[in-house]
Amino acid sequence: MVGDPVTAGPRRRVVGGRGLSAVLPGAPQLLAGRWGVGAAALLAWVGFLWLLVARWDRVWAGAGGPWDERLAVATVVLGLAGAWVWSWRDAGQPLAGRAVAVSQWDLAVRAFSRNRTAVAGLIVIGGLYALALVTPLVAPYDPLAQGDLMTERYVGLSAAHPLGTDQFARDVLSRLLYGARISLSIGFVAVAISVTIGTLLGAVAGYLGGLADTVIMRFVDMVISFPRLILLITIIALFQPSIFLITAVLGLTLWPSTARIVRGEVLSLREREFVQAAVALGYSKTRIIFKHLIPNALAPVIVAATLGIGNTIVLEAGLSFLGLGVQPPTPSWGTMVDAGRGVLLDAWWLSTFPGLAIVFTVLSFNLVGDGLRDALDPRLRS
Amino acid sequence: MKKLLALGLVGAAAACGGDDSGRVTFSDPFCADVMPRVQDWVDQQREANPVPDDPRYGGTVVAGAIGEIADGLNAAVTSDYSSSQHQMFVGLMTLIEYDADIQAQPYLAESWEVSEDGTELTFRLRDDIYWHDGERTDAHDVAFTYRTVTNPETAFPNAAFWDYYVRGPEGVEVIDDFTVRIRLQPHSEFLNAWSTVAILPEHLLGDVPPAELRQHPYGSVCPVGNGPFVFVSHAAQDRWVFDANPAFPEGTGGRPFVDRYIYRVIPEPTTLLTELLTENIDVYFAPTPDQAPRIQEAEHLEFQTFTFRNYVMVVWNSRRPQLADARVRQALTMGTNRQEVVDAILRGYGAVAHTSVPPFHWAYDPEIESLPYDPEGAAALLEEAGWVDRDGDGVRENADGVPLSITVKYNQGNQIRQDIAEIMQAQLAGIGVEIEPLVVEWGTLLQQINTPELRDFDGVVMGWVTEFRLDDTDLFHSGRIDQPYAWSGTQNPELDRLLDRLAVTLDRDEAAPLWAEYQDALIEEQPYTFFYFIERLDGWNRRVENVVMDQRGEWVNIRDWYIDPASR
Amino acid sequence: MTRYVVRRLLGAVPLVLGIATIIFFVVNAAPGDPTLYMMAPGMSSEVVEQLRVNYGLDQPVHVRYVKWVGAMLTGDFGYSFSYNRPVLDVLMDFLPNTLVLSACALGLAFLVGIVLGTIQAVKQYSGLDSALSVVLLFFYSMPSFWLALMLILTFSLMARNVWDWPIYFPASGITSTGHDFMGPWEQVADRARHLVLPTLSLALVLAAGIARYMRGSMLEVIRQDFVRTARAKGLPERTVVFKHALRNALIPVITLVGLYIPVLFSGTVFVEYIFAWPGMGRAIVEAITRRDYPLVMAASFFFATMVVLANLLADVLYAVVDPRIRYE
Repeated sequence: MVGDPVTAGPRRRVVGGRGLSAVLPGAPQLLAGRWGVGAAALLAWVGFLWLLVARWDRVWAGAGGPWDERLAVATVVLGLAGAWVWSWRDAGQPLAGRAVAVSQWDLAVRAFSRNRTAVAGLIVIGGLYALALVTPLVAPYDPLAQGDLMTERYVGLSAAHPLGTDQFARDVLSRLLYGARISLSIGFVAVAISVTIGTLLGAVAGYLGGLADTVIMRFVDMVISFPRLILLITIIALFQPSIFLITAVLGLTLWPSTARIVRGEVLSLREREFVQAAVALGYSKTRIIFKHLIPNALAPVIVAATLGIGNTIVLEAGLSFLGLGVQPPTPSWGTMVDAGRGVLLDAWWLSTFPGLAIVFTVLSFNLVGDGLRDALDPRLRS
Repeated sequence: MKKLLALGLVGAAAACGGDDSGRVTFSDPFCADVMPRVQDWVDQQREANPVPDDPRYGGTVVAGAIGEIADGLNAAVTSDYSSSQHQMFVGLMTLIEYDADIQAQPYLAESWEVSEDGTELTFRLRDDIYWHDGERTDAHDVAFTYRTVTNPETAFPNAAFWDYYVRGPEGVEVIDDFTVRIRLQPHSEFLNAWSTVAILPEHLLGDVPPAELRQHPYGSVCPVGNGPFVFVSHAAQDRWVFDANPAFPEGTGGRPFVDRYIYRVIPEPTTLLTELLTENIDVYFAPTPDQAPRIQEAEHLEFQTFTFRNYVMVVWNSRRPQLADARVRQALTMGTNRQEVVDAILRGYGAVAHTSVPPFHWAYDPEIESLPYDPEGAAALLEEAGWVDRDGDGVRENADGVPLSITVKYNQGNQIRQDIAEIMQAQLAGIGVEIEPLVVEWGTLLQQINTPELRDFDGVVMGWVTEFRLDDTDLFHSGRIDQPYAWSGTQNPELDRLLDRLAVTLDRDEAAPLWAEYQDALIEEQPYTFFYFIERLDGWNRRVENVVMDQRGEWVNIRDWYIDPASR
Repeated sequence: MTRYVVRRLLGAVPLVLGIATIIFFVVNAAPGDPTLYMMAPGMSSEVVEQLRVNYGLDQPVHVRYVKWVGAMLTGDFGYSFSYNRPVLDVLMDFLPNTLVLSACALGLAFLVGIVLGTIQAVKQYSGLDSALSVVLLFFYSMPSFWLALMLILTFSLMARNVWDWPIYFPASGITSTGHDFMGPWEQVADRARHLVLPTLSLALVLAAGIARYMRGSMLEVIRQDFVRTARAKGLPERTVVFKHALRNALIPVITLVGLYIPVLFSGTVFVEYIFAWPGMGRAIVEAITRRDYPLVMAASFFFATMVVLANLLADVLYAVVDPRIRYE
C-alpha cells in the first residue's frame, strides 16, 4: 500500500555528518532534531562507554565469569558497537534517502515517533532492559549480602549506599537493579506465554468457527470467570512458590483477553479478499492461519502485550503483598515494596524506590502501548 | 452519579444498626432468643446499680489489633491467645486468677482446698455472680464446663491440661449449689488449669452436643458471659463491642471504670499505627519492634513491654541423618549469633532463650550454662562429628560425601521467622553449613510437620507458648513421639526421666533443682535452637490510665482501666 | 433479545457449575485442612481425628463433593469452619460492605475517567493531553496496596498530626466507634468520611483505563460526519462536544461497567486489607489460608456468578445502546 509521499521537508537528517558521528554517535541525529533515535544512540554510547571505563576491572573479570556476567559484558560490547555503527551509517545516508514509497508500517513508525511521550517511554524501557542486562557490572554490592546487622540496618541515603539499606543491611540500590531483572523477566515471559496461547487459540477459534469456536470460547469464558486469586493461592500452597511458577501461573491465566481480540480480528479478516484467495488457492488451514491471519491480526495484540507487561509487573507486586510473590531473599520490585511497607514512616526509601521503579516502568509500557495503539490504528491518526 | 453515591450511602447506613431502641438485633434463632434477655437484664441492672460518684467512671476505650478474636468467648474450643484473654478477663470468669507474682487468688471461687493426699480439689464459689441474662452462676456451670472440656468429642485443644485429672462425669461432683469437687492425681501446679479455662453457662449450652460446640453461635455471634464486660455486638473482621457490667460485684473488682470497650480488627500494622497516632484508637496491641520508636516518640502515647511465655525456635528434625548427632545441633546453635538477632531484628525487644523455661519463671536456673556464640567452637564440633569440607566448595561433607545442607522452612507472611531463616543462612555459611530457607504456606507447613507419618522438614522456624505450668512432655518425651507435637523426634532417656518426675513434683523447692538439671540436659540435647522469648510490646494513649500489662497478658486488669476525665 | 438473554443465562449455569467443581477439587487438593488451625499444644492425634469427624472431613473428597452440590442446589452452602456460622450469614455480613465500596469506586472512576478522557480527546496531542495521561497512568501503575498506604500517610497521619489540615480522613473501618450514638445524618457523614480513602485508592487505579477508552471513543466520534455537520452549522464547540459528541462517545464506555465489575472485586482485596474494610476480598483470602472450604466455595461460586452476569450485562448494554447490534 502506498501512502502520500511524506517528505521530510527542509529539515536536515543529520548535523555534523560522519565526523561528529564517529566521536559521539547519536549527536548528529540529535542536533538535527531527531531526538528519539538520537537520544537513544547517544545514551547507549555514553552509558556503555562510561561503564567500560569506570568498571573496567569488573568488565575484564566478567568476561570469564558466570553466564550472567558474560551476558553483561556482551551487552556492553554489542551496545557500543551497535550505537556506533548505526550512527555512522545513518549519518552517511543521503538527505532524501527515503520517502519514496511508504508502507503502512512506515506510517505507523512515523505516527509513533511524533508521539513524544511514547518515544520517551520506549527509551526508558530500552534503558531498563539494558540496565537489567548489565546489572552485574553496575550494582555496587551483592544483592543478597547482609551487612553488619547492628550498625548498617535501615541506613538512609548515603554515599556508600545511594538508596539506603534494608532490614538486613543489604544495599537497596543493588537489590533494585537485580530486582529489575526479575520483575522485567516475569512481565516479559508471562506476557509471551499468554500472547502465544491467546493468539493461537483466538485465531483457530475465529477461523474454524463452529464447534471449535464454541468450545474454545466457552473455555475462555471459564478462565475469565475463574477467581484468579483463589487459583493462585491454592497453586502456591500446592507447589513451592518460585519465579517460574508465578510466571507460569500469570501467563496461563492472562491469555483469554488476547484470544478474544485475535478472534474478533480473524473473524473480519476471514471475509477479506486475500484470505479468500488463499483458500481458493488450496492452501492448508495451518498455512492460512499462520501466514495470512495471525500476521494481519497482530497490531492489536502488540498493543495488548505492551500493556500486559506493565499489568503483570503490578500484579506481581500485588501478589507479594499477599505473600505469594517471588520468595526471599531473591529481590523483585514487588517484594521490595512489600518488605518496606511496615517501616514506611521510618525507612521510607525501602519501598519508595522500588515503588517508583514500578510506577515508571509500567508508565513507560503504557505510554508506549498508547502510542502504538494510536500509531497502528489508521482511524486515530490525525 | 453523585445522587447515586449519596443514595448508596443512605441505603448502606440504613442497612445496618438495629431497631429504634438502638439495640442490636440478631437473626440467629439462639441469639434472637437469648440476646433480648441480656439487653433487658443490663437495662435493669443499670437502673438498680447507678454509676458510683467517681470521676473515673465513664468513657469508651477503643483497642486495635491485627487479628480477630478467633474463637470468641467459647472457652471450650480455644487455643488462641486473644480469645482466651477475652474469656479470662473480659467476658467470662475463671475460678481463680493469678496476681502479679503468679500466685493463685480467688475470683469466681472464693476459696478452695485440696485434700491431704492431693486427689481432691474442692472449690467454694461466690454466690453473687450472674450470667448476663440474669441466671446465677453456680456449681452446675463449673461441673458442666469440666465435663465438656474433658470430653474427647469436644476436642478441647489443650487436652494435656487434663492428663492428671479424672475425666468425665466421675471427675467432678456437685456438693451443693456453690461447692464443687474435682478428682485428680497429685501433680505440680494443679491450679493452673483453673486460671485459664473460663466457666461456661450450662443453662445455655447444656443441651448442645459436645461435637457441635465449636460451631455454636455462642462463641462469636452472641456470647453470654458473667464477667466484668457484657457482650454487645460483633461484626466479623471489624469490631467487638463490650459494655461495662453494672452488676459486677465489688468483691471481684466491681463495675469496670470504662462504659464501653471496643476491640477493632485492623490487619495492616501501618494502618494500626496511624490510627494510634491520630487518636482513633486508644490501645494498639502488639505493634512491631520497628514501630516502637514512633510510639515512644509520640508525647501522647505510652509504651510498655513485657517478656512473654512465647518463644521462637528452630526445630531440628533429629530423624534426619545429618541432624541426628547432638553435636551438629549444638554447632548450629553456636554458629548463630542469637543476641544479634534479638538486638537487630527485634531492636532488643526479646530475651535470648537457652531452653524452654522463661527467664521470669521460678523454675528458671539463673546459673544456666548456655551455648555461647562461638563459630570456631561450632566448626570444631562439626569436625569432631565427621563433617569436613572435603571437596573445597565451602560446604562440609561427611565421610560418604553427603553435604551438610539443611532446609529451614518457615511460614508465609511471618517476617521475623523469615528474617531468622535468612540470617541463619548468612551466618552458618561461615562455618561451612548450607542453610536453604524455604517458605511454605501455613496450612501446608502445619501438615508437613504435624503429621506423624510425614515430618517433612529438616529444620523449621516455629513459635511456642508455654503455660505457667511448664510441661514439655508433648515436645520432648519419647512416649509422645507419634503425637503431632513431637516435631524434633527427641528420644533421650534422661529427658524422659526428668519430665516424668517434674510432672508430679508438687513442691517448688523440690522441683527447682530438677528443673536446673532439665535445662542442662536440654542444652546438651539441643532438640531446638532456642532463639528468644518474645517481648510483647504495647502502645496506648495516655488518656487511658492505670493500665497494667504483664506476663499474664494485656487484658489482665482491663476492668481497672479508666479514661482521664479531662480528655473525654 | 429476551431469547438471547435466556439462552445466555442457561449457558451460564454449566459454566458456573464447572468453575465451582474445579475450585472444589483444587482447594481440597491443597495440603492441610481446617483442623490444623485448631491444633494446640497437647492435642493428640485422636483429638484431631475427632475434629475431622465433627467437621465431616473424614469422608472422601468425592462424597463431600456430591453432598456439597446437593446441598447447594437447595440453597444450603453449609457452615463456615472459621466463623462457626452458616456461610450465607457470613457472606451477608461482608457482601454489602464490598458492594458499597465497589459502587462508590466505580462511580468515581467513571466520573473522573469520562471527564478527563473527553478533555484529552478534545485537546488531542496537546501538552494537557500528555500531562493528563501521564498523571492518570501514574496512579494506574502504582501497586494498589502502596497507593493505599500513601493515601493513609498523607490524608490521615500527616494531614492531622503534622500539617494540621482542617480536614483529614480516618484510615480504617467503615464507621467510627461512636457511630451508634450519632444522629442519622451524622451517621451518613461518618460513613462517607470512612469511604473517602478506600474509594480514592480503588478509583484512581481504574480511572486511567476508562479515560483512555473514553479518549479513543471520543476521537472516533469527533471525526464522524454528524459532528462535522454540527460544527458546520456553526454551533459553538462546547455544544458540539457536550451535546452531540459526548453522548455518542459514551455508548461504548458505558459497556465497560460490566467488564470492570470483576476487576473491582479482585482489586478490593488489597484495599480491604489496608483500610481494615470488612469485605469479601479479605474474607476469601482468609478463608483460603484457613482452609475454610465451605466459605471458599460459596465465595467463589458467588464471584463466578457475578463475573458471568457482568459479562452478560456488558453484552446486553452494548445491544441496548447501539441499535446496529442484534443478537439472534
